[in-house]
Amino acid sequence: MLFPTFDFAIFFAVAFTANWLLNPYPVPWKLSMLALSYVFYGWVGWGYCLLLLSTTAIALVGGNAVVRSTTEKRRRLAMALSCAGLLGLLGWFKYYGFVSVNLDNLTHVLGLGRAVPLLQVALPIAISFYTFMALSYVIDIYRRHLSPARPLDLALYLSFFPHLLAGPIVRGNELLPQLRHRRDPTAVDYSRALWLILAGLFKKVVISSYVSSAIVVPVFTAPAQHSALESIFAAWGYGVQIYCDFSGYTDIAIGLALLLGIRFPVNFDAPYTARTLQDFWRRWHITLSRWLRDYLYIPLGGSSGSEARTVRNIMLTMVLGGLWHGAAWTFVFWGGSPGGGRGGGHLRRRRRVRRGLPAVAEGPVRIWMQRFWTFQFVCLGWVFFNATGLSDAFAVLGRVASGWERPSPLVTPLLVLVVIGTVVSQLVPPDAVERLQATFSRQRSAVQVGVLALILLGITTFGPVGVAPFIYYRF
Amino acid sequence: MMSESAPPTQTAPEGTPDARVRAPWQRVLRICVAAFLLWLLLFAPTLQHNAQVSPVGTRRTVALDLLGPIAATSRALQLSHLVSWTDEATGRTGNQPGNGVLSTLGPGHRHGGHPGKPHPGGQPSGTPTTVAPHGSGAPDITHPTAANPLRVLIVGDSLGIDMGGPLQNDLANTGVVQATLDARESTGLTRPDYFNWPAELQSDLGTARPQVVVIMMGANDPQDFPGPPDVPFTSPQWNVMYAARVAAFMKLAQSSGTTVIWVGMPPMQNAALSAKMSDVDAVDQQQAALCKPPVDFISSWTLLGTAQGAYAPFITNAAGQVINVRTPDGIHLTPAGGEVLSQTVLNYLRGPLHFQLP
Repeated sequence: MLFPTFDFAIFFAVAFTANWLLNPYPVPWKLSMLALSYVFYGWVGWGYCLLLLSTTAIALVGGNAVVRSTTEKRRRLAMALSCAGLLGLLGWFKYYGFVSVNLDNLTHVLGLGRAVPLLQVALPIAISFYTFMALSYVIDIYRRHLSPARPLDLALYLSFFPHLLAGPIVRGNELLPQLRHRRDPTAVDYSRALWLILAGLFKKVVISSYVSSAIVVPVFTAPAQHSALESIFAAWGYGVQIYCDFSGYTDIAIGLALLLGIRFPVNFDAPYTARTLQDFWRRWHITLSRWLRDYLYIPLGGSSGSEARTVRNIMLTMVLGGLWHGAAWTFVFWGGSPGGGRGGGHLRRRRRVRRGLPAVAEGPVRIWMQRFWTFQFVCLGWVFFNATGLSDAFAVLGRVASGWERPSPLVTPLLVLVVIGTVVSQLVPPDAVERLQATFSRQRSAVQVGVLALILLGITTFGPVGVAPFIYYRF
Repeated sequence: MMSESAPPTQTAPEGTPDARVRAPWQRVLRICVAAFLLWLLLFAPTLQHNAQVSPVGTRRTVALDLLGPIAATSRALQLSHLVSWTDEATGRTGNQPGNGVLSTLGPGHRHGGHPGKPHPGGQPSGTPTTVAPHGSGAPDITHPTAANPLRVLIVGDSLGIDMGGPLQNDLANTGVVQATLDARESTGLTRPDYFNWPAELQSDLGTARPQVVVIMMGANDPQDFPGPPDVPFTSPQWNVMYAARVAAFMKLAQSSGTTVIWVGMPPMQNAALSAKMSDVDAVDQQQAALCKPPVDFISSWTLLGTAQGAYAPFITNAAGQVINVRTPDGIHLTPAGGEVLSQTVLNYLRGPLHFQLP
């Protein structure tokens, strides 16, 4: 079920009412939310519910086995087996096709027979998100950061519909305690929730759709036919498109959860104001970045070893983070390029400290230059992220060097305004938004109704009929 | 024993007072429902139109029954003007099918207006421009150059996008072809009320002035013609009506002496859908042969399937490499699948049609 649809509006009206009516009764509340979450997921394909149920079962059994194990060795074994089970499911559905085709072509080159059967496995929507949540649940229990949850709580934690399809990747210690306590039915933080939902819808339906059809799709479809300027704007445009698409989705998810009295962690923090790649990854898809940091980068050794080990750890984390998005060489490259950039930045900073050089003077020009170049590097990565293959990505980049003789009819004043405006809008201070929400919350109901209806009208009027699925639904 | 940190707040930033007023859930529900109803009243005529052009079935019937009185009230109260004034002010003439719309038009070939805009009422607009046919004294179009490029128009549905993207890129890479792609998801020839392809093609012929038109559509066509009375897909009358539309579309594409290539649908994973595609392909192929001059029909049935014409997600190319040609939905083409068709069309242009392309 897509958020910006009539089906979901009706579904959420039912869920909202059930949520608050059953709020005083914990078990019926959990059962109703669980049932609604499975209906929400089953709307995409009922067979997927079995997969979600299997993931829940593995996490439940694994978590309990870790706690019941009497020796450290058995605890570790229980944790490893659970993680292997969860990763096995993810690997089968997400990576089998990619691995089997590449393996088959390799064996063909070597003159060997078929190594594995060629099967086309449909990727279940949301599997990457709830698998990572299940992994963190089991590992947190192993690390003694979390107590095992009751089956009903765990099932609801993994399937709770606002985060189910594309995050944020909520940790057990963030959501499970909230499921155990009743929410205050007299104090719904609705002005913030509605702001997030409407801002998310605007970003997705209006901005992302427009930029996609105006520049991104045309240029990435046929790079050879477009100019250098169009290629540059396509790369910037995709940066805007994916930000509006993904942050729009998570804004809506956080807003919906807030209307139900549940708080989710933030997932985006003005990422295009970042001054370094490291800073960018602290601001972009924050819940995935911290997952990779806590469950991959730090266990690999983090930055505690030699320089070479640190760079290796950064590269491995980023490449695996890229592969989390999908089984394709473009994602390996997308993960690897910022990984290399981050590794290079890390080495540069360390060498500067080792040589005893003074810190570089901070000033507005330096800050803006850092922001500009970080944005360029990030957009370079987006070209690989969006391209259907490495050759297509290089074709887009090649046009930047060779396509200056062509006209650029796709780069219209409106497009320039939207692309630059969206990036610059991230500089709006959060307290300005806060004041706006507070002002709205103090208005009379009739005014609030009018404002909400007009904003919704604006979004539906300026948006296209039928909205493309969110980009991160693919992952 | 174990630490469970408090949930992170995502309300006010640290140091700033949280001045937002909270409200009981019943009030929030009342505000949201009232806002939704007000929006519904303002937007009902557009929603009614969207329902009218949706596939025939219970969902459409129920939506029309529900939206009818609301849209009538909106019109009676003049509320619908708010949307139409906005559309006029921004140069839009109504909502367009937007689910993954692809409208890639060659540089400098569109002159204003929303690309791919359907024309209400099914009345084609735009002035067809005559293109010099072979041997008319104009530059020989079979020997295109960078200065006198061959103009190719590619139109179609979502499978047309899958094939058209790689084809447009491959043609552009020759350096002597100006390729224009105008393809739309969820469209076809059965529902001109949703998207009027004849009108769109007429407009494209006027603006892109193609010398070759490549068409790939039909995946969305196995559906009832809306009435009253509705004409079911399975009825003999449907075949007659559909054949007439295909023939008219082909003739329109040829109207300026243009060479027309029609790429047929591939087999589908779902056996029932595959059978429907086979029916649609048969009509297309038959009408292609009946056209004067005949339309060039390229079948993708065995190109993207097994030698026996069965669905195949993987095929082995000439180099012996296995390639994945179909997406997991069992319908659409992967970029590699699109490339297979693109190369086939290119070879057809170079071979039977004698175009000298690098």
